[in-house]
Formats: sequence, structure tokens, C-alpha cells
Amino acid sequence: MKATLEVINRMQAEGIIRKYAIGGAVGATFYLEPLATLDIDIFVSLKDPHGSPLVTLTPIYDYLTSRGYKTEKEYLIIDGWLVQFLPPSGALDEEALQQAVETEVNGARTWVITAEHLAAIALRTGRAKDFARILQFVEAGVLDAAKLDPILRRHGLLEKWEQFGIKFLRATEPSGRENL
Amino acid sequence: MSEWMRKVLESKRAARQRLRALSFSEKLKLLEKLRDRSLAIAQSPLRKDRRSKG
Repeated sequence: MKATLEVINRMQAEGIIRKYAIGGAVGATFYLEPLATLDIDIFVSLKDPHGSPLVTLTPIYDYLTSRGYKTEKEYLIIDGWLVQFLPPSGALDEEALQQAVETEVNGARTWVITAEHLAAIALRTGRAKDFARILQFVEAGVLDAAKLDPILRRHGLLEKWEQFGIKFLRATEPSGRENL
Repeated sequence: MSEWMRKVLESKRAARQRLRALSFSEKLKLLEKLRDRSLAIAQSPLRKDRRSKG
């Protein structure tokens, strides 16, 4: 993993990408116990040399494939890891990227999306495995309600959170948010 | 809930807590092992046989 992050850091240093942060199961592993996964989700803001509103991952693909890295479907294979680069798909992703937490992996500097933003993104995505991850966050007690509530409010996710609470949290507790 | 089940759940909770307390670097080492095992299982001929039998 360190080698993978070093390649991404090099891309950043060379101006191919701007800010980046780890999300998905690897990002969640920062806060929880290790979660089995085959891929790494990298949220990334890209350099926009022509002021175009269209976001393209071409510079990343060009940079990596010209250095011998292979692709597999939507992934780039870096040091044995399937890496998916995800440009922000809206304000929530942009904010998650900007507020990511700095950390290090065996000396390699990196950034991880906050637990509250990971939970909000999972809630927005809404697959069964996303809900399972939110429950893991709740059970582990890593979500800070004072941080999560404003995020959910800003990005129109409060109603979804209420529904999530009714479905998954209130069976055992009187209120979903009291679990946080 | 039986006493036995209570102990099992408590022990699982403690193990998960212990894993959560590891550094990110240590967790990622475990994650790599999990990934390697998943890939080994996915490539197992037994699994392929089962798939081809539908």
C-alpha cells in the first residue's frame, strides 16, 4: 500500500492531480477494524488547464500507463492494488476532499476522508454494503453527531438519515441519533 | 441470551476493538493479507468448477 500511495503522491507533486483522499473500505479502515476489499477508492480533484467544466481522468491514465501501469476495467493497477480514481460528483465529495484528515502509512504522507463524510457518502450511495458500513461506524462510536448533522443538513441527507435510523437503528434504540 | 453466547459476543467485540486501535499502517498490512486471501479463494479451481456447474 505504501508504494501505491507513493505513486499517487508523485502524481500530486508533478501536478497531475491536486488534492486527493482515500475513501471507501480502505478509508473506513482508518476508523474501524480492517475491512476486506480488493480496491482503493481515491477521491481526487484534477487540474483543469483549459477551464473546461468537463472532468476527465485522461491525465491520470496517460501518466500511469506511460509508466507501465496496467488498467483493468475502471481501475488502474498500482503495486498490486486496483485503484479507482473518483473525481468529485458534487458538493458533498468536494467538501469531503477539502476536509480530509492527513495521516501517514509507513512514512508516506496521505489523506483520508473523515468518518462523518464517509458515512454521508455511504448514505447517499445507499447500497446494502453502504448501510452495513454506516452501522459499523455507529457501533464503533466513531461518528461525531456535532459534525455529522451539519453535513447531512448541508447536503440534503437528513431525511435519508431519518429513514436509515427508523429502518436500522430504532429497532433496538429509541432514536437513531442517540446511538452516535 | 445464554451465558455462552454473551461471552462469544463480548470476545468478538473486544477483538474488533483491539483491531480498531491498531495504527493505520498496521491495519493496512492486515487488509493486504485479507485481499490476498480473497484473491486466492477467487482463483481456486474448486470455485471455478462450482461456477461452471452453475
